[in-house]
Amino acid sequence: MSRKVITLCYRKVIDTTNANAWDKFVHEDSFAEFKMQAQFYNEEQRFTTFAEMLLHVPEAEKLHFLVSAAITGYLRQLNGIIPDILDNLGRRFLTFENFKFEIINSDINDIEKHKIAINFFSKPLIWHDTISNQLLVSQFKETNEEEAFTNLFQIQPFVSIHAIKNID
Amino acid sequence: MERKNFIRSLMIGAISTPVIIEACKKSSVTDGTSSGSGTAGTTTSTNGTCTVAPTETEGPFPTKAPASYVRSDITDGRSGYKLTAKITIGNLNNNCAGLANAIVDIWHCDAEGNYSEYGGSGMQSINYQSVHFLRGRQITDANGLVTFTSIFPGWYSGRATHIHVHVYNAAGTSLNVTQIAFPEGTGTSLALVNGYNKGMTGYTYNNADNVFSDDKTGVEIATVTGTLVAGFELTFKLNVKA
Repeated sequence: MSRKVITLCYRKVIDTTNANAWDKFVHEDSFAEFKMQAQFYNEEQRFTTFAEMLLHVPEAEKLHFLVSAAITGYLRQLNGIIPDILDNLGRRFLTFENFKFEIINSDINDIEKHKIAINFFSKPLIWHDTISNQLLVSQFKETNEEEAFTNLFQIQPFVSIHAIKNID
Repeated sequence: MERKNFIRSLMIGAISTPVIIEACKKSSVTDGTSSGSGTAGTTTSTNGTCTVAPTETEGPFPTKAPASYVRSDITDGRSGYKLTAKITIGNLNNNCAGLANAIVDIWHCDAEGNYSEYGGSGMQSINYQSVHFLRGRQITDANGLVTFTSIFPGWYSGRATHIHVHVYNAAGTSLNVTQIAFPEGTGTSLALVNGYNKGMTGYTYNNADNVFSDDKTGVEIATVTGTLVAGFELTFKLNVKA
């Protein structure tokens, strides 16, 4: 089969049900930042939910970006490794530099309604083959090597192929 | 037909009877222990996804991290003439005395007139290392002062050169959203920088700007001193009701 270079996207959804410390910090700090930044688009506090703000003040779309500053410190703590997604050996193997933060829903009065997503975009991978229900991939390098170390993994919920390019 | 139905009813009886007995047993056991123990868990099921479980050393361990806005130098590698911005927040409810512990956000465009931001929709992603360039947050000292190190802002079509400011109280409640204008004319910083590579053709001056044109007394215009080589220093007093 022809080799393809792919980037994967993992959309990590975080709400009040997430229990681990990193997720909780991200959830709480993004909520605090949302409450601060939302005031720019929501003078006199006419609206309480993010959905209402978007409906009445389209520029509130920028809140996705503005609130993301609350979580970039936590992204640094990941040391460039995408969390949660494991190869078939049970190890995290995807590396990233690019991300996109989303506010899915929120309410300035209720942290329970604060739900966000971090989209992690992997660095490019070469997709060598598909074995059973698993993808065989290796880190994309500009130089061609005789032998490449590979990872075998299964596409799982909230993971998708974000971009693809034929190289042969 | 009748016979079949009769047999079926017997079968249902035969199956359901032990179930009823079981149910009775259970209820008699649970009687008197209605307090229960533990609390309802929040862990959602990931069972059945058929993926391997994590098998590596735990970590890295997260620590509380402030928003990436919190820093004095907001340059983030953007090139331009150095600008030190000293903004003092005064309290209108206290004879404009310096307001301590106020949160001050500033943001402005780079030398080319672009802000750090990206659209909310679409496929665009961004590198997490330098995403919020030329945006910063500081907390005022006892004199109400915050200091930022940045670059002299460029300009873009339709607007005079400006810096955005958003002031919050210590609890994060918005007190004021405004913009700082720059002095114009011969010898001013604006004339010296001369719009960077763009020049000043098509520039919107303060008196034609839709934000600053109603400022007849110049209360929104900062004091800016300095040179291209040494850099510039901007001072501005902003009074809020706190």
